[in-house]
Amino acid sequence: MPPHIVVAPMLVALGTILAVLGLRSARAAQRAVSVLGGAVYAAVVGLLTWRVMLSPAEPTPLVYQIGGWPAPFGITLVADALAVFMLVIAAVVTLSAVAFSVRFIDEQNQRVFYHPLFHCLLLGVTGAFLTGDLFNLFVWFEVMLMASYVFVAFYGEAPHTAAAFRYLVLNVIGSAVMLLAIGGLYATTGTLNMADMSRRLAAPAAYGVDVAPVVGLSALLFVTFALKAGLVPFQFWVPAAYRSAPLPIAAMLAGVTKKVGVYAVVRLYFVVFAGASLPTEFGPISGNSPLAFLAPVLFAMGAASIVVGGFGAIGQSRLDGVFAYSSVGQVGFIVLPVSFAAAAQSASFRRLALAAALVYALHHALTKSLLFLSTAAVRGAAGTTNISRLGGLAAFSPALGGVFLIGCVSIIGVPPLTGFFGKFLVFETAAARYAAAPGLVPATAIATLLAGALFTLLYASRAWVRGFWGEQTEAVATATLDRGQLSILAALALVVLAVGVGFDPVYEFAEAAAEAALDRSAYVDAVAPRGGGGQ
Amino acid sequence: MTTTITRTTIRVVVPIVLVVAILLLLQGHKLPGGGFIGGVLTTAALVLVYVAYGLDYVEMEVLDREVESGGGIFERRIVTAYRRLFSLGLGLAVVSGVAGLLFGEPFLSQSFVVFHGVPIYHEVELASALLFDLGIYGVVVGGLLTIVSVVGAE
Repeated sequence: MPPHIVVAPMLVALGTILAVLGLRSARAAQRAVSVLGGAVYAAVVGLLTWRVMLSPAEPTPLVYQIGGWPAPFGITLVADALAVFMLVIAAVVTLSAVAFSVRFIDEQNQRVFYHPLFHCLLLGVTGAFLTGDLFNLFVWFEVMLMASYVFVAFYGEAPHTAAAFRYLVLNVIGSAVMLLAIGGLYATTGTLNMADMSRRLAAPAAYGVDVAPVVGLSALLFVTFALKAGLVPFQFWVPAAYRSAPLPIAAMLAGVTKKVGVYAVVRLYFVVFAGASLPTEFGPISGNSPLAFLAPVLFAMGAASIVVGGFGAIGQSRLDGVFAYSSVGQVGFIVLPVSFAAAAQSASFRRLALAAALVYALHHALTKSLLFLSTAAVRGAAGTTNISRLGGLAAFSPALGGVFLIGCVSIIGVPPLTGFFGKFLVFETAAARYAAAPGLVPATAIATLLAGALFTLLYASRAWVRGFWGEQTEAVATATLDRGQLSILAALALVVLAVGVGFDPVYEFAEAAAEAALDRSAYVDAVAPRGGGGQ
Repeated sequence: MTTTITRTTIRVVVPIVLVVAILLLLQGHKLPGGGFIGGVLTTAALVLVYVAYGLDYVEMEVLDREVESGGGIFERRIVTAYRRLFSLGLGLAVVSGVAGLLFGEPFLSQSFVVFHGVPIYHEVELASALLFDLGIYGVVVGGLLTIVSVVGAE
C-alpha cells in the first residue's frame, strides 16, 4: 500500500478550497474552516516530515505514483528531505498568514473569494514542492500564479491594476518560455519525469540523448525560475506586486512563492541536470556539467540583487515598500551560496553551501512574514504605513514594538535569532570559498555580502527608529490595535526566536535537505523509473 | 453582431457544437477528449449564443425566468448557478479521486466495468474516470461562463 501521507497536504488544501467555497454564505463558519484548513495542513506536513526525517521504518524519499501508474508514465510525487523542508516553511507561513487574514482583511473583501484563492495558492505551492514531473511543475506554477494574479489586483484601484497587469504579462511570458523549455527537454530526452530525465542525462549514450541542447534549454528554464524568485534583472515586478497585494498575501508571496523559484533551481540543477556532462573550453567556466554554466550567472544575479534590493529599500517611504525591496536583496543572500554550491568541486563544501542557502531561505520566510504581518498590524491600527506619518509606535504599544523589533533584529542578523545563523552560514561559505581559492570572485562575494548586511542594518534600523521611536504622530495617537492580530504576531516572533535558540536540529534538517538535493542516485532509485532503456 | 445571418448560422451551429462537446466528454477516458476540452467546447457554444442574442436571452427565453433588474451581475441567478456548477464539479472531481483511497489504491486510481449485450450498442464500458471528467467539465463550464458573463456585463 502506498504511503498516502505524501499526497495528503495537497488533498487537505483541495478539501479546504471545496469547504470554503461551499460555506460562502456562512461567513463565520467559512473563516473558521479556512483557519482550520491551515492548521490541518500544518499538522499533515508535520506528520510527513516525521515520516521522512525520523521514522526508521520508512524508505526515504517517499514516492507516490498517482493513480497507480508506474514512474516514467504516470505522475510521480516525491517527498524527500528537501521537499519536506520547503513544505515546513510553507506550513508555518501559511498558518500565521491565514489566521492573520481573518482578523485583518475587512468583511466585504473576505467574502470575495479570499479564502478559496488563499488555499488555491497554497495548493499550487504544495504541488510544486512535491511533484517529480517537469510538466506538473509547470502546472502547479500556473495554479499558484492564477491565485496570485487575483491577489495582486485584489483591491482593484488604479495602482493595483497596473501592478497586476505588469505581473500578469511578465509571468505569462515566463510561463511560455518555461513551456517551450519543457517541450524542448521532452524532445531531447524523451521523458518528463525528473528522475528518469536525470538517469538518461547521466548516461546519454545508453539512451541516445544529445546533451548539448539541454544546457541551453535548462538556461531557458532558469530564466523562468529567476523571474519567479525576483532576481535582478527580473526584479522589477516585485515591489509593485508586493505593495498591491493584501499584506498577509505579501507575506505568502515573499515567504513562500519566492522560495518555489529557488527550490526549482536547486531541484532541477542539482538533481536533474547535475549528472549530465559536456566538455567545455569556455573561458572562466570550469567543470563540465550544466551546473558549471549556472554558477557564474547565479553569482552575478545574486550579487546584483543584494545591491539593487538594498539601495531600493533605503529609498522607500512606506514600511511595506521597504520590505518589498528588502525581499529582492534577501533572495540574493539565498542565491549566492547556491552559486558557490554550483561551482564547488568537493561534495562536503557543496553540502555546506546548500545548507546555508536553505537556512537562509527558512530565516527569510519566517522573518519577512513577521515583518509584513507587523506592517499589516500597523496599517490596521494607524491606517497608514508611511514612515514619516508614524512615530512613537513603541510607546503606544510596547508589544507591537517588541514584535517588530524582533523582526528587524532578526533580519539584521543579531544572535540568537534565526537571521544570525542564516547570515553567519552564508558568510562562512563565502569565507571558506576564499580560503580554498583566494581570488577576485570570492572577494567580490564577501564585499557584496558585507554591503548587503550594511544595507539591511540601515533600512531596518531606519524603519524602527523613525516608525517606532520619537514623538507620537497624529495617526498613532488615534490608533486602535487589534489584540487578535497581536497574539498571532507574538506567536510568530516566538517561532523566530525558537528556531534561533534551538538551532541545532534545524541545521541538521537543513543539512539533510541539502544532502537530499545532492544525492542524485537516491532520488532516481526511489522513483525507480522503468522501461525506455537503450536504443 | 446580431444580424440575421449570424443568428441563423448560430442556430445551426450551436446544436452541432454541443453534440460534439458531449461526445468528447464521454470518450475522454479512452480516446482524445475529456472533461476539459468538452467543457471548453460547450462554453464556446454558449458564448456564441451570448454574442448573437445577448446576455439576457439565455435567462429569459431559454430558462423562462424574469431577469431581476438592479443588483450586480453577481446577483443574477444564472451566474449563481454557474458558480454552483463550478463548486459541484470541483467536488465531484475530488471525490472521484479520493474514492480510490477507500479501496487502498493511490489517489486518482480509476476502474471500469464493461456491460455486454446492451441493445444497439452491444457493449457499454462504464469507467469511473467518467465521473472525474464530469467534474472537470463542471469546473470548466461553470468557471468560464462565470467569467464570460461577468466580464461581458462590464
